[in-house]
Amino acid sequence: MQRALRSNSRVDLIVLSSCVILALVARALPTTMRDPVATGMRRTFLAPLVMLQERAERGRQSLLQADAKQAHLDSLSLNSIKAGALETENERLRKLIGLGSQLKWGFIPTEALHGRGVRDETTVILSAGSRAGVSRLSPVIAPEGLVGVVDQVDPTMSHAMLWTHPDFRVSAMSPDGTAFGIAQAHLTGATGGYLIELRGVPFRATLKPGAEIVSSGWGGVWPRGIPIGTVLQEIKTTEGWARTYLLRPAVNPADVYSVMILRRDRLAKGFDGVWQSAAQVDQAVQRIVVSGDSAAKAAALAEAAARRAVLDSVARANGAPPLGATDSTGAPRVVAPRPVPVRRPPPADSNAPVRRDTTPRNDTVRTDTVPLRPEVHR
Amino acid sequence: MNVGGAIRAIISFLIFVVLHYTLRPLLGWRAPMDFLILALLLASVRVRPATAAVLGFVLGLISDSLAPDALGAGAIAMTVVGFGASYLKAVFFADNLVLNAFFFFLGKWVFDILYFVGEQRVHGVELLQQLLLWSPLSAAVTAAVGVLLLFLMRPLLEPTPA
Repeated sequence: MQRALRSNSRVDLIVLSSCVILALVARALPTTMRDPVATGMRRTFLAPLVMLQERAERGRQSLLQADAKQAHLDSLSLNSIKAGALETENERLRKLIGLGSQLKWGFIPTEALHGRGVRDETTVILSAGSRAGVSRLSPVIAPEGLVGVVDQVDPTMSHAMLWTHPDFRVSAMSPDGTAFGIAQAHLTGATGGYLIELRGVPFRATLKPGAEIVSSGWGGVWPRGIPIGTVLQEIKTTEGWARTYLLRPAVNPADVYSVMILRRDRLAKGFDGVWQSAAQVDQAVQRIVVSGDSAAKAAALAEAAARRAVLDSVARANGAPPLGATDSTGAPRVVAPRPVPVRRPPPADSNAPVRRDTTPRNDTVRTDTVPLRPEVHR
Repeated sequence: MNVGGAIRAIISFLIFVVLHYTLRPLLGWRAPMDFLILALLLASVRVRPATAAVLGFVLGLISDSLAPDALGAGAIAMTVVGFGASYLKAVFFADNLVLNAFFFFLGKWVFDILYFVGEQRVHGVELLQQLLLWSPLSAAVTAAVGVLLLFLMRPLLEPTPA
């Protein structure tokens, strides 16, 4: 019994010693031999365990980054929401700059600070005051047209009455001077929206829907020619001696953020043609953009053609038929069977967008193209 | 140990190994629990010292294969721990949770001492900090988790009544 136990202990010690020696050998292996052994184990019977560990690590990373990812997503969502408003604001500022360049002088660009509550769009605070040259009854305009009038002035800010205010009035007319009237807010309660009434139009003068209405310049507050709105329809009132028209305003008071205050000394110089010129400037900018687009298209086409010509030259130098469509020599192309099908590598810039540009566009190419006269063909 | 008991012990052993490669990296603690040590200790008290030594050697190689620079260090440590646990099972083989917790704590700490000394990656103060602070913490966590799992897996680990 004791001998058996002693024998078992000896076996245990021999196995222990063997394992320890093997482990020491593994520990003493050079790196060049250690790595293949470890890699072999990882890739064979340990592969499922390694996969489990990888997934667990990934799960932990996901848990740790969940908050950061959520915050990132929120930021992106917020930015995408802001992007639309920024585009609109950008557009408005561009128009404002265009109007400023037409006015040249005598205006004060300012910010309009809105409202104290819902549907309280009758007054705004302007961020410029008497120190900047603002005075009482100075007109407030936007690129689209009339906004309101300054009614209180402080040194650093001022208070303006918008056209939606019940007390606001402006003398208005059709641009051709055939119809005159007084424009004021159309007050029909909360559901009426922002519309303008043109009251007191002589019965003999009729205005068609879509007709533009501008300030007439009478009264000394508003200069002549500032857009007020466009005619929607005639409305029936108790006044039998004059017509009343409903106008769609040129400026929505809820969208007024950047405006201009006209100085009193500027009013005397007149504003004839300013808004028409502003519109022309806008059209000119559009034309410049379109011309730039055409120039970029032409440059892309020229670059693609040059690249194709180079490829053809290389192909000819190698004894192969030209790969591209160009043939500078004008000689008939000899079509020979190719020993090895050569796949032409796509040029870096000759992908789908460039090809799309090769299609003539009506708004760019046609305007620059002079149509051929019949005698040219003769 | 009869066949049923052996199968249940093997299942428990595999559960511990899987937990080592799933729960441990998922928690990612600075002083992690060591399910491989728990598996080795629970298996070692059920087999002969020679078998425990071989089991420890294999488990050590498995853990070392994921850290090739330390290949062999884990194998040495686990071989010694497995053999020692099996050799001393007469002392620790008791149905006492506190004693089992101490058994797990001691096994993990001895393993860490052997491993970090054999690995020779950390030296000086850092080694002392590891062996006297983080390793006991890790051993304590391992002991706590081991006792909890012993409690939960009692149906699997209890010997079959004759």
